[in-house]
Amino acid sequence: MFYSRPLPTVFERIVGLPWLLLVGVTAIAAIGCATLYSVAGGAFDPWAARHGLRFGAALLVAVAISIPPVDYWRHLAGPVYIVALGLLAAVPLVGVEALGARRWINVGGVSIQPVEVMKVALVLALAQLYHALGDAKRASQPQWVLLALALVVMPASLTIRQPDLGSAILLAAVGLGIMFLAGVSLWYFAAGIAAVVAIVPLLPSLLHTYQLRRIAVFLDPARDPLGAGYHIAQARIALGNGGLDGQGYLRGTQSQLDFVPEKMTDFIFVALGEEWGFTGAMVVLALYASVIVMLFVMALRAPTPFSRLTIAGTAMMIAIYVVINISMVTGLVPVVGVPLPLISYGGTAMFTLMVSLGIAMGAARRV
Amino acid sequence: MAATTPNDHRRLLQSAEGAADGTMVFSRRALVLGMANAAVFGGLAARLYDLQVLNGPQQSALAEDNRTRTLWVPPMRGQILDANGVVLASSRETFRIMLYPQRGLTLADASRLASELAPRLGMELSAVAAGLKAALHDNRPLPVVLADGLSYDDVAALQVGTFEAANVVVEPQHQRVYPELKPSARIAMAHIVGSVGAVDRFSLDDDPHLRLKGARVGKVGVEAGMETALRGVAGRTVYEIDARGRHVRRLDDRESVPGRAVTLTIDIALQEAVMGKLAAENDRGAAVVLDIATGAILALASTPSFDGAAVHAVGAQWRELKSDPARPLVNRATTGQYPPGSTFKLVTALAALEAGLVTPKEKIECWGDVTYSGHTYRCWNRKGHIASDLHKAIRESCDCYFYEAARRAGIDRIAAMASELGLGEVYRDAGIAPQKRGLIPTPAWKRSRTTRTGWLLGETILAGIGQGYVQATPLQLAVMMARVASGRKVVPSIVRHDVGDGHHARSDATRQPEFEPLAISETHLAALRRALKAVVHEGGGTGQAADPDDGRTLVAGKTGTSQVSRASADRDRTKPLTRAQRDHALFVAYAPADAPRFAIATVLEHAGSGGTEAGPLVADIVRLLMARDRPTAARGADAPAPAKEG
Repeated sequence: MFYSRPLPTVFERIVGLPWLLLVGVTAIAAIGCATLYSVAGGAFDPWAARHGLRFGAALLVAVAISIPPVDYWRHLAGPVYIVALGLLAAVPLVGVEALGARRWINVGGVSIQPVEVMKVALVLALAQLYHALGDAKRASQPQWVLLALALVVMPASLTIRQPDLGSAILLAAVGLGIMFLAGVSLWYFAAGIAAVVAIVPLLPSLLHTYQLRRIAVFLDPARDPLGAGYHIAQARIALGNGGLDGQGYLRGTQSQLDFVPEKMTDFIFVALGEEWGFTGAMVVLALYASVIVMLFVMALRAPTPFSRLTIAGTAMMIAIYVVINISMVTGLVPVVGVPLPLISYGGTAMFTLMVSLGIAMGAARRV
Repeated sequence: MAATTPNDHRRLLQSAEGAADGTMVFSRRALVLGMANAAVFGGLAARLYDLQVLNGPQQSALAEDNRTRTLWVPPMRGQILDANGVVLASSRETFRIMLYPQRGLTLADASRLASELAPRLGMELSAVAAGLKAALHDNRPLPVVLADGLSYDDVAALQVGTFEAANVVVEPQHQRVYPELKPSARIAMAHIVGSVGAVDRFSLDDDPHLRLKGARVGKVGVEAGMETALRGVAGRTVYEIDARGRHVRRLDDRESVPGRAVTLTIDIALQEAVMGKLAAENDRGAAVVLDIATGAILALASTPSFDGAAVHAVGAQWRELKSDPARPLVNRATTGQYPPGSTFKLVTALAALEAGLVTPKEKIECWGDVTYSGHTYRCWNRKGHIASDLHKAIRESCDCYFYEAARRAGIDRIAAMASELGLGEVYRDAGIAPQKRGLIPTPAWKRSRTTRTGWLLGETILAGIGQGYVQATPLQLAVMMARVASGRKVVPSIVRHDVGDGHHARSDATRQPEFEPLAISETHLAALRRALKAVVHEGGGTGQAADPDDGRTLVAGKTGTSQVSRASADRDRTKPLTRAQRDHALFVAYAPADAPRFAIATVLEHAGSGGTEAGPLVADIVRLLMARDRPTAARGADAPAPAKEG
C-alpha cells in the first residue's frame, strides 16, 4: 500500500521516545542516588554509586526494549509468564535463603528474584489475554474472569509463602487493576470485596507469625518499641525531625546514626523526609505523580488493548509501590516490605520497573 | 502492512465505532483509577503534612533525645557550719564505674573488655564478666555497675577514660556525713542540722539529678530549709549515641557546681548550754533566742531531742524515736503550736491602744470576773485587780482588762496586730524547715472552717488572752518579742547572710539587715515596754522569777500560763490534775530591758504557771547570754557600765 507510512527507523524510534517521561524517571533515580549518598554518611560507597550505575544500565535496557515493535513482546507474554511461574514455584525447592525468607534463585550464576520477573510477566500476560479476547463483553464472561483470576492468584499465593507479603500485594493489586481497566463487570469486584471481608477473620491461620506480629505492632506500636514497632516509631521521629524544610542535606541525624532501620531500602523515604522536610517529600511525590500521569495519558492514546493495558499496568505498578511504601513509613499501613521505586537501593526491583517502562514506551508507539 | 489479519480488520472497524473493544470502558475506568490515585496521593501528602509540619517539633525533641544520652553528674552538697566554723554536715565523694547499655555487643567483645577491665579494677574477672553479660542482654535499658565506692585516687589510677568508647563511664556519688561531735552537742544540734533523705516526690521543674538513683534532698532542719543553697547544680555529659546505644562522641561536658556552704548563726556552745538549761527545767519544751538587731537565731532548743549521729547510722533506733510518745523527733521550737496564753496580751493591748479604744492611763475595773452577754469570764486572780491601767494590767496579767480591751478592739484588729508582730506566719527565709504557721483566728477563717455559727463575741474575748483558737510557735513568740523590743519588723534567720557565697565561710560584718519599722506608735510601744520591765522587776509582777539577778541586767518579759484543759480552771476540783491537764508554762522576754539585744521565748509543756516555772529558765538563759557576752562588751571602750536600775 503506497500511501501507508514507511516503518520508522531505529533513530526515529529513539527520537520519538517520551523523553519527558524519561527525564522524570531519571530525576527520581537521581534523588535516590543523592539520598543513598547521604545515608551512607556522605559516601558513594556502598550504595549511591552502584545505584547510579544500575540505573544507567537499566535505562539503556529500557530504551533497547522499546525499539522493537511491541507485538514482539506481546507474543512472548505467554511463554514468559509460564517460565516466571515455574521459577516462582521452584523457589521453595532450590531457592537461597536470606534474612529469613527464600526469595532468590540462582540461574547460571546470576541470582534473581522470580517474583520480580513475574511482576512484568503478569502485566504482559493479562494484557495479552484481554487483547486476544478483543471484546470488552467477553472479558466479563465467567470462564475468562476465572482464567484472569488464576493468572493473578497463582503467583500471588506462591509469593506469600516465600514470604514476601509486599510483592504479593503488588501482584494482586496490579492484576486486579488491569482486570478493572479491561472492563470486567463491576459485579465481580463487588463480589470480591464481599469475599475479602468474609476472609479477614481467617487471616490469623493464613499468615506467617511475623506477618501477624507486624500487623499487631502496626495497630499498636507501643507494644514493642525496640522490636518491630521500632521501625515505625523511629520513622515517625525522623520524619517529624524533618519538619517543613528539613534538616538539610547530609544532616539527617536520625537516618545517619542508624536509628532508621532499612534506611537504604524500604525506609529511604524517611531519610529523605528528614533531610529535605515536607517540601522535599512533596517534590518527590509530585515527580511520581507526573510520571504516573504521563503513563496514563500514553495509555489513553495507545492503539491496542495490549498497549493500553501494558502501559496502564506499569503506571499502576509505580503508583502502588509509592502508595504502599509511603503509607508504610508514615505508619498508615503495616510494614510489608515494599521499596520506593527507583529511590530504594536494590537492583532487581529497579530492573523490573525499567523493563516494564521500556515495554510501555514501545507500546505507546503506533507501530 | 502485508500481514493484516481479518482480526485486525475487525478491530479497526470496531475502533471506528468506538466501544466494542473496550476503548470507552478503558478511558472511563482509567479516569476513575487516576482520580482514586490522585486522592490517595493527596491523602499521603496530608499525612506527611501532619507528621512533619504539624507534629514535627514534638518529634524533633524526641529525635534529639534519640540521638543523645545525657548523664547527669550530681553536685557535691554544701557543708553546714556553726557560727564558729565547726563542720556540722559535709559530703563524701566516691566514684563508681558504670557500663552503659548498647545493643549488639557480642560476647567476644564483652569478654575482651572484661579481661582488660578486671585487673585495673582490682576485681575478679568473673565479677566483671557477670556484669557485662547482664549488659549484653539486648534491650536492657539500665546501666550496670562495674565497681562501686572507689576513691578519687583509685579512679585516677584506673585510667578508665581509655574505655570510654566501650560505654564505660565514671560517675561521682555523694554521701552525706555528719562529723563526730560530743554526744551532748549532737543532741543539741540534731533538730537544727536535720537530715537528708530520698526524694519521694518529683515535680517537673526539679533538678534532673534528683532522679538519679541514690539522690538525697534535705528533709528537715537546715538541710531542708537551705536546700536550694546546699544542693548545687548538676553537671552533665552528653554523648552522641548511635542506634545501638554506643557512645560516638562527647557533645557536651559541664562540670557540676557544688552547693554553697551554709554558716549558721548558732554557736554550738551556747545552743548546748540553752539546751541543758531547758532540759533541766522540764522534759518537754522549747526555748528560742534571737539576736534582735539581725534576727539571727542564737539558740533553738527543743526537748526531748535525740542523738543525730545515732539516727543517721541505725534504722532500729529511728523507729523507736518515731514511736516515742514524747515525740523527740519533733522540733517544738518551730513546729510546736501552743496557745500563747497571757503572752498574747501584748497583741491585744497594742491593738486596742492603736485603735484609740484604750489609753495607757485608762483604768478598767476587775472584780474577779466580768460578764458579757450573759457569759461570765473569770480573771486568774479570783479576788480581782480592782482597777488596772495598762501598766498594772500587763504587770499583773489582769484578765478582765484584756477581755475588755479585746471586746473593744474586735477580732480583726487583734488579728492585724498579731500579724504585724509576726504571728500566724511561716518565715520562709529563716533557713530551717519545717515550720508551723500557728493560728490567728478571724471571722473569715472560721467561716471557711464551719458554717454552723458565725464568729462569736466570746471567741474574741478568749482570743484577747491568747486562748481559744489562738496558737503560736515558740519561734513566732520570740519574733514577737524582738519586734516589740526594737519597734522593727525583725525577721528570723538561722543562717548568716554576712557570709560570702564561697565554699568557705567569710566574715563580712558590714552587711546587716535593716528591718523596716512597725506600723505602731512609739509612745504605745514605750508604754508597753515599761510594763514588760515591770513584770520582772516591780512588786506584783508575775515574772519576777525571770530576774537574772546578776547585778547588772534588767529583763522585760511577759508570763503566760496557757490552759490546755478545762479542769485546770475548775476552782472546786477535788482531784489533783493529771499531767496532761496541767497548763503550759510560757515566758517571753527580751534583755537587756533598756537596750534590747536578745529576744527569748520559752514554752514548758504541762509545767504549770508561766511565772514560776518558765521564769527561772529565762533568768538562766539571760545569764548565759550575758556571761558569753562579757569579754566582747569589756573590750568596747565606750561600753556603758552595766547598772541595775531600781
